[in-house]
This record gives sequence, structure tokens and C-alpha cells, in this order.
Amino acid sequence: MKVLVCIKRVPDTGGGFRLTADGKRVDTTNLGFTISPHEECAVEEAIRIIEKHGGSSTVLTLGPAAAQEQLREALAKGINNAILLEADDYESWDPKAVAHAIAETVKPMGFDLLLFGNESADACNYQVGLRVAYLLDLPCVSGIKALEIQNGKAIAKRESSEGWEVYEVSLPAVFTVKEGINVPRHPSLRGIMAAKKIPIEQRKPARGDSPIARRRLKKPQEGRQLEILGQGVEAVGKVVAKLRELGAI
Amino acid sequence: MGFSGVDYFGLDALLTPEQRLIRNTVRQFVDEEVLPIIKESFEAGRFPTQLIPKMAKLGLLGATLKEYGGAGIDAIAYGLAMQELERGDSGVRSFCSVQNGLVIYPIYTFGSPEQKERWLPKLIRGEAVGCFGLTEPEHGSDPGAMETVAKRDGNYFILNGTKAWITNATLADVAIVWAKLDGVIRGFLVERGTKGFSAAKIEHKLSMRASDTGELYLNDCRVPKENLLPHAEGLKSPLMCLNQARYGIAWGAVGAAMACYEEALQYAKERIQFNKPIASFQLVQQKLVEMLTEITKAQLICYRLGQLKEANQVKHTQISLAKRNNVAMALRCAHLARDILGANGITLDYHAMRHLVNLETVYTYEGTHDIHTLILGSDITGIESFR
Repeated sequence: MKVLVCIKRVPDTGGGFRLTADGKRVDTTNLGFTISPHEECAVEEAIRIIEKHGGSSTVLTLGPAAAQEQLREALAKGINNAILLEADDYESWDPKAVAHAIAETVKPMGFDLLLFGNESADACNYQVGLRVAYLLDLPCVSGIKALEIQNGKAIAKRESSEGWEVYEVSLPAVFTVKEGINVPRHPSLRGIMAAKKIPIEQRKPARGDSPIARRRLKKPQEGRQLEILGQGVEAVGKVVAKLRELGAI
Repeated sequence: MGFSGVDYFGLDALLTPEQRLIRNTVRQFVDEEVLPIIKESFEAGRFPTQLIPKMAKLGLLGATLKEYGGAGIDAIAYGLAMQELERGDSGVRSFCSVQNGLVIYPIYTFGSPEQKERWLPKLIRGEAVGCFGLTEPEHGSDPGAMETVAKRDGNYFILNGTKAWITNATLADVAIVWAKLDGVIRGFLVERGTKGFSAAKIEHKLSMRASDTGELYLNDCRVPKENLLPHAEGLKSPLMCLNQARYGIAWGAVGAAMACYEEALQYAKERIQFNKPIASFQLVQQKLVEMLTEITKAQLICYRLGQLKEANQVKHTQISLAKRNNVAMALRCAHLARDILGANGITLDYHAMRHLVNLETVYTYEGTHDIHTLILGSDITGIESFR
């Protein structure tokens, strides 16, 4: 089994963030970076599949040279190989251009299973995995929360409001993975030190056209407000008045 | 949402990707495994032993060792790991400091090849726990005056004495016991179950409640002569171990201070009094700024200390300065955080007071604040004040 998992380096916005002056990007000054959460689960899924069925796993990202940090995190957890499609201007690549570069790279590599996050934590385009599947003419199930390999086929489950949708998919195939499919492991300190020595294959992808350009981002007003309106029955009037004031009723 | 760190001076940019990843990994481990259980452990007065295999699996035990299954991480990465552990609890960091700096380090540095083979892999895998017996009931700051003695008896040594305030005492499978043999301080490996050797927990502690603290009793305890650490001789040997542990404490204290600052900042922004958040009051802002400033200074001390340690250029006096400054700083931050939290601050639902009482121990263990002052005073004046 040859498994590919594609990840994206995204700003770690857990501690809050600001936008750049032009409003087009998150200001990443003094922000850490991390693997997008759905993709962290895709990495875990790839490792588990190889642990169970044997074979090799490869992690790939398109991003700046610094994205090697995220590739090494995946290697530290147990992924075998890493490919960096280096693009310093990655933020202006739209999903079509990214998908083209990935498809061109992986087409000759013969992966049985190609895993993506359902959507990235920063751009949330929901597109790259689906576009790669289209370009490689492969079947694709998106938003999966369970994956098993049985007799050379993949059984993928997607959660719906009514229960589960279960799919049987011939390989090779593309899946986009949702957070919750597993609990990603921590890399061990030994794994981190060992990953340091694994060479990362670096390529400069040709950039296709990017018809989509982001005009601006807008951040909702900050600030949570806590106001205690009273206790018990006597608070009811105030609650109703407040809901009216907020336009909720 | 997990802890996102306190990094006002952009120190993250100075870290290598591996150092950042190790820090983030331990940070997440603390968020997921330590913080949810620490309140109960602290209240129950027991070390959360369920963390031992998890910390071993992560590679926190024997982390800087490149042999015997250790992860081989650098000094700054190790410091960052200790910082994050103590952000969880000083007792959890103390467990690691003792296992690493006071048990694995002396066996690796002073032990025979057989002793290393027998103990290091097990200690690193968390299958064995160790403790370090130097302090005695009557001898804390002056360990050279210890009363524990060893006598030769054929192929054995007979040990007699009492050790006090020993972290991991009742958990330990092996104790590194320091005793005078012919008037010279030597180190002995004393295994659990050895006749004449016992340990008892110190009860009713108001601090470090999630840490196992006890006494070791050696009553005509016979240990085979192979259990003598062959390369440890004189007070310098245990002091070399303490330097390792103190290095981790200097970093750990920053973690405790960060936890207190973060908690106080969040609380101050959300707590409304006089119809506005208390963070809007100048007195509260001043406290928060003082905490942030002192944390930032301590972080810079740690980073440089780590560089020196990694280059094998660090002096024990520099470690003293860092331990002395950073623990006092953390204690002050814990006080300020407790103050900002008001009445809520005295409960275990918040972290500040737990850190505060823990740091009272850290302030006087591994060299009291005052002793480190005198070590530094002696270094800069050339005049020893206490010998």
C-alpha cells in the first residue's frame, strides 16, 4: 500500500490574531504555524493504515521553505517520506493552481490512497482534494470520518444528520478527511530527532493560472461580554427585554 | 482551546523547528494529560503515576541521552519540555527532573557499564523509577555534613542513616544514596526490597501535593559492592547532579509563571466589576505588565543558559543565578495572579494558588534562594560567606 497525505502549513491562531493592513491576509508576525487540523487527522490515518497493512507513506505540502517544519512533524509521527513543493508566493495560489501542481507531482508515483484534509483551517476552500481526484481521474469521497481497507478496497464512512453513509471504493482513490476520524498521536521526542535526519524531496512546481484572487478578509468585532441579569424568576423580565434589545425576539 | 504561550519578544523565532515541535508536543501533552487530572492528584496528595508510561512514551525520560534509548534532544529543547511540564504542575516537572538529572544522569556519568545496562533502559522506558538521597533531616544546605555512613564488609557495603525530603521516595525502584565511606562521600545504588532499606511518605504537605515526597531509612542495609557508583567521589559528584536538576528548574519556573500570567490575564479581561472588566483598572494592568516583563526577562535568561549548556560552557554559578531569579519571579507572579483572581484564586478550580504553594517548595529546594545568593556573592567577591 502506498499512501499519500497532503497537508497545509497554517497560522496557529489559537491565541487570537490580527489582519495585515491591506486586510488580505492574517498577520503572521509572532504567530506560530501548525498543520491544519483535518490534515493532522489525515496524517494519523495514513500512519495507522501503513502500520496495519504495511507499505509506505508520503507527506506532501505546497508552501514556503519553512513548511518543512510541518513536514518534519508528520515524519516525526511516523510518515516515511516527505515532498515539499516550494512556493514562496503560496498564499496567492488558488485551489486550482495548487491542485494542478500536486496532481502533476503525484501522477507518476502510483499512490493507492491519497488523503487530504476536508478543508484547510485558513482558506477553507474545500477544493484541493476534489480537484486532484478530478485531474487524476480517481474516485473521491469527501468529508469522511472512518476509513478501512478490506480486500484491496476502501470502506469509507461519512456522517450525515440521519446516521452514516457507507461507501465501498476501488483503489486508487482520493479521500478528504474530517477531524474526529481519529485522535492524532503526539510525536515522540525520539521521533522528532529521527525525523531531523530524513531528507525532504524539494521541488519547484510550475505555477498554473490562479483565476481566484482574495480581495479582503474581515474580522468580526472582538470581545465577549458577560452580564448577569439577575437570578430566578425575577430575571425573566430583564432577559426578555435584553432579547428584544438584541433583536432576537 | 490549548495554551498558546507567552512570547512577547518573539523568542520562538530563535528556536529550531525541532525545539518548537518538542515544546508544542509537551505543551499539548500537558493540556490533554496533566491539566485535566492535576486538581484531583493535588487534592488527594498523590503523584499521578498513570503519567509515567505516557511521559516515557513521549521520550521525556532520559530525553537528552543519545544512548540506551534516550531521545538525544538538546539542552534548550529539554528546558522547553521542563517549562511546559511545570506549566502543568511543579510536582510533575519534579518527577522528571529527578528521574533525569538525579538518577539517569549520575548512573550514566558515574556508573559502571553493568550498572548502566541494568538501569538506564528501564529508567528511560519508565519501567523503573529512581530517587536521589542526599538531604538528611539535619543536613539540607550543608550536605557535606551528612551523617549517613557506609562501611565495607567483605563483598558488601553496610549503609546506615536517614534521608529526608526525597522526591519519588516511595515510588522508587532504585535510590541513589550518598553516604560517607572512610570519610569521603560516595554514591550507592540501593534497590527497593533490599533488607534494611525502607521508605515512608511525608504526609500533611501544604505544597507539592501531587509529588511523592518521603524519607529513606537505612538500617544496616547491605548492598553488594557492585552497587557503588565507581566514578563518583566527594561532594562534587552529587552537586554535579543538582546542577542538572537546577537547570530544569530554571526553565520550569518560567512555565509555572506563564500559567499564572495567562490565567490572570484571561480572568481580568472577563471579570466585571463596577460595570467594566477589572483588566481596565490601572492597578490590575500594572500587575499584569510586571508579570509579563519578568517572564520575558526569565525567558531570555533561560535561552542563553541553554546555549551555554549545549556548548558545555555553562558555569554552576550561572545556573544558580537562573534558578534563583526565575523561581523568585515565578513565586511573585503566582502571588500577583492569586491577587487578581480574588476569592476565586484560593480554589483548585484555578491554577494560581496551586502553583503558588508548589513554588514555595521550589524556592527552597535544590539550593535555597538564600544559598544561591551566597554562591553568587562568593563568586563575584571572591569571599565565601558560609564556609
